[in-house]
Amino acid sequence: MSKKIRLLYMENVSPLRSQTVYHAVGYAMTKETPNTIIMVSPNAPYVCVGYHQDIQKEVDLDYCTQHNLPVYRREVGGGAVFLDNGQLFTQWIFHKEDLPVTLEERFKLYIDPLVATYQELGIPANLRPINDVHVNGKKIGGTGAAQMGIAEILVGSLMYTFDKKTMSQVLKVPSEKMRDKIFESLEAYMTTMSEQLGSTPDRVMVKDLYMKKVSEAFGAEVYEGEWTAKEEAMAKEIDERFVSDEWLHQKGQLKQQAGVKIHQDVHIVEAAFKAQGGLIRIIARLREGRIDDVTISGDFTLLPVFALGALEQSLRGVAATPENLKSKIEEAYYRLNIQSPGVTPADFTTAIMNAINPPQAA
Amino acid sequence: MATVRGCNIPEDRFYWVEKHAWAILEADGLVKIGITDVAQNLAKGIVNATPKEAGRPVKKGKSAGTLESGKWVGPVTSPVTGEIVEVNAAMTSNPSLINSDPYGEGWFVKVKPENWDAESAELLTGEAAIAAYQKFMEEQNLNFE
Repeated sequence: MSKKIRLLYMENVSPLRSQTVYHAVGYAMTKETPNTIIMVSPNAPYVCVGYHQDIQKEVDLDYCTQHNLPVYRREVGGGAVFLDNGQLFTQWIFHKEDLPVTLEERFKLYIDPLVATYQELGIPANLRPINDVHVNGKKIGGTGAAQMGIAEILVGSLMYTFDKKTMSQVLKVPSEKMRDKIFESLEAYMTTMSEQLGSTPDRVMVKDLYMKKVSEAFGAEVYEGEWTAKEEAMAKEIDERFVSDEWLHQKGQLKQQAGVKIHQDVHIVEAAFKAQGGLIRIIARLREGRIDDVTISGDFTLLPVFALGALEQSLRGVAATPENLKSKIEEAYYRLNIQSPGVTPADFTTAIMNAINPPQAA
Repeated sequence: MATVRGCNIPEDRFYWVEKHAWAILEADGLVKIGITDVAQNLAKGIVNATPKEAGRPVKKGKSAGTLESGKWVGPVTSPVTGEIVEVNAAMTSNPSLINSDPYGEGWFVKVKPENWDAESAELLTGEAAIAAYQKFMEEQNLNFE
């Protein structure tokens, strides 16, 4: 592709506009519109939910109200996320014919300049297919794709900083233990430029570097342009829709995913199971199909007293299948001489498997 | 049923290849529409499907609703103009039907067409549709075999 690419550089716009701007350029796109990249950051924090999410179920709206965090629904999929000025969003609004048709190749084209930018800054980032950017197994930003009008959209960010604590606060979760686990997992599996470099790089320098990497990837000039009156008018229209209750509170039908996704390979899941001897509560972190970490609690009796921690410990790294889990738990029962009236290794296995694959509601 | 590079292209459907949409006229005069096997292969696992409601008008080339896969959100483009009279409730409660059976259980909506004769003449069917998909998939180097 040798066509020129227009760049719209918009630091410090309102939270609402940081979302509506790419929708506007997408919906206003005509055959004559140049392929466009918007680099935009909000001047205040907010929460952004996926197209089909039910915000009542996903977001702690009381917390958001108390902390003056607006919530906006984007027309891109995925989950709820806390955003602030620490991220520079990189939004592509392209003609379909200028992008690969498969999502794998499309995301690779989109992510390569992000990775190249990070690498030139000295951060060993890489593409974790299909659409994550990782640094040594930690995520440094996710991406998404959508079609709006005739435009194909790709969105992601350059991550200067990320407020993991507030991210864990804005989600609606079944327990505070689960919230703690989410925060702990964000600390373990997400990273930022500031963490990697020890300081925050100059933002204009990063913008110029990214423009250069995009230009190299396409063999095309990237020029800083302005948006058109038509695009701005479209943005005002979409601003109005995005703040309407009808749009924000539309009942999403997105099937509840099991737990919270931290990145492509890491999920936190949660379940409770009623065994004869009491309730078993499980919070587990799964990494690449294995138990990365598990917390077991409940109102059952398990002796000796130290054995519960040892049982949790013994499950780390175990492939998350019923056979493997049960055999590990039985082995711990034998080794530690565990006594648990009315609760069996099979019950713990069921509880953990219910967290991993929630039983379908009737 | 014809297969092109791992994708089913039933000869009896009418296709808008560029938009990955299909339509078929049923005995009751309604037109059933959906997305093609190629489209579901490209979108991957569909997690949400939101057709426009029954009673809403739809124009050829405009959105009849929205799909979300794990990696992409986009419209289902209607290949016909008319009024949506029925949405596939089984599909909305189990959107993966679009992946497993895009021409059968995974149909999207039924439309009461305004002018099926004229609009269907602009779509491709039978051998012409298969040839068009063959060309598209070769050009894009797509193969789902």
